[in-house]
Parts: sequence; C-alpha cells; structure tokens
Amino acid sequence: MKTPTRVELRIPSLPEFVAVARMTVAAIACRMDFPYDAVDDIKVAVGEACTNVIEHATPESPSPEEIEISCLLEPEALVIEVRDRGRGFDPDLHAQPDPFSEGGLGLILIQALMDEVQLTSLAGQGTQVRMLKRLKPVSTGSAR
Amino acid sequence: MNLRVKSRRLGAGTGVVELIGEVDVYSASQAKQNLHELVDGGANHLVIDMRATEYLDSTAMGVLVGVLRRVAEKGGWVRLVGLKPRIRRLFEITRLDQVLPIFESEQEALADLAGKEGVP
Repeated sequence: MKTPTRVELRIPSLPEFVAVARMTVAAIACRMDFPYDAVDDIKVAVGEACTNVIEHATPESPSPEEIEISCLLEPEALVIEVRDRGRGFDPDLHAQPDPFSEGGLGLILIQALMDEVQLTSLAGQGTQVRMLKRLKPVSTGSAR
Repeated sequence: MNLRVKSRRLGAGTGVVELIGEVDVYSASQAKQNLHELVDGGANHLVIDMRATEYLDSTAMGVLVGVLRRVAEKGGWVRLVGLKPRIRRLFEITRLDQVLPIFESEQEALADLAGKEGVP
C-alpha cells in the first residue's frame, strides 16, 4: 500500500502569515481534486485554526512563536493538524462557545466545515487541532 | 489579496462601508477603524457592502458584532449586503444572520429609511 504523502509547513504566529497557511493548504486540496466548495471549507478551517493560535495560545513575547501545519494526503481524505507550543487551555471551557460573542466563532466554523475535528490541549504544552475532510461525503442512505 | 475599505455617508445617521478583498485576522483592524470612525461621526445605521468581499473570517465577524453592539445602544443597526454564497453560509453556521440581517442590495437594505434622514 502506498504511504500517504505528508506536507509540513511552519509559519510565524503572526496575523500576516495566516493567509500563507490557508492558501497553501487550499492548493494541496485543489491538487487532491476536492470540489471547489470543499476547498473553500478547508481554507476557512485552516485560517480559523491558525487565528485561534494567534489570538489565544501564544503568550506575549518579543519574538513570535511558530505554528506547525501538517497535511496528510490520504487516498480518501485530507488530514490537517495545526499545532502550537503555546500556553494551552481547557478545551471543555470552549466546548459551547457563545455565537453572539465576539470570540469563540472560529471553533464553531471549524466543526461545521470539516468532517472530523479533534482538539487537544494541555496547559503549558500547547494545543493541537486535528481536522479531517473526506474527498467524498459518507453516504447515509440505505443500500439497495 | 489585501483589504480595501471604502466608506461614505448617506444622510445624517447612515453610513455605507464597502469591504473589498479579504477580511481576516490581519486586515480586520482596518475595517474596524473605518466602522468606528463612521459611528463616532454619528452614523448609527450601517450598511456593510460585501459584494467584493472574497474572504471573511471569525475575526471580521467579531468586528461586525462589536460595531453592532455600539450602534444598538443608540437604537441603530448593521445590515449586510451582497454576500457571496460561501460567505453567507458562514453567517448562517454561526447564526449571526439572526442579528446581522442580510440583503441582496443596498436599496433593499435601506428601503425602510427611504425619504428619512436624508437617505435617497
């Protein structure tokens, strides 16, 4: 069996580099022949995951931390992991964000746009968002 | 693509802001500044023209909710115009379309103000 291709990217944890991450991953999704709407979903989800790192995970410091973006190109899906080495947080506190607050919208979007999402965070050790988008939606209809 | 923001006044209490390009964590502060300048100048009714908005993230949505809070305190509103389907979908997912009404055109968004406050 062919080993899935992995593409890795590191960007400074700065707002001006978020577009670099989302455009790069969108290009990978295009290469995998995802439909246009799915490419857009992936682009938004990656942008939100990186933005979340910048806004919540990076401690104030004179030199920016890095965001690591890893893409695993599987035959039927694209798996994207966005990691930081920031201060981490309690994921349970972010499980039910208020959509009418100014913050907390990013995770709602990621969960709605991707097929699978796992959020792992440990205080002082950083956060990882693992997102999966399938090339073809899983059929929910009954077989004939 | 970066963001260009164009704003104009329509009558005493109404302003229109065009967001052209990408509104994200990098560029949202520019949009915020323009919106707050209009509000500080007395515009409590804001139309956000998004016909040329190519990308929008949660930071930009946060800016819109923030400015809505400011004008709502003074009886004002924020209305969105001309959203591309993929951007409209983000407002529906987050249910922000319930507090930021979406219209097809500027005329439609301003229909109830026509003839009032100097709005044509």
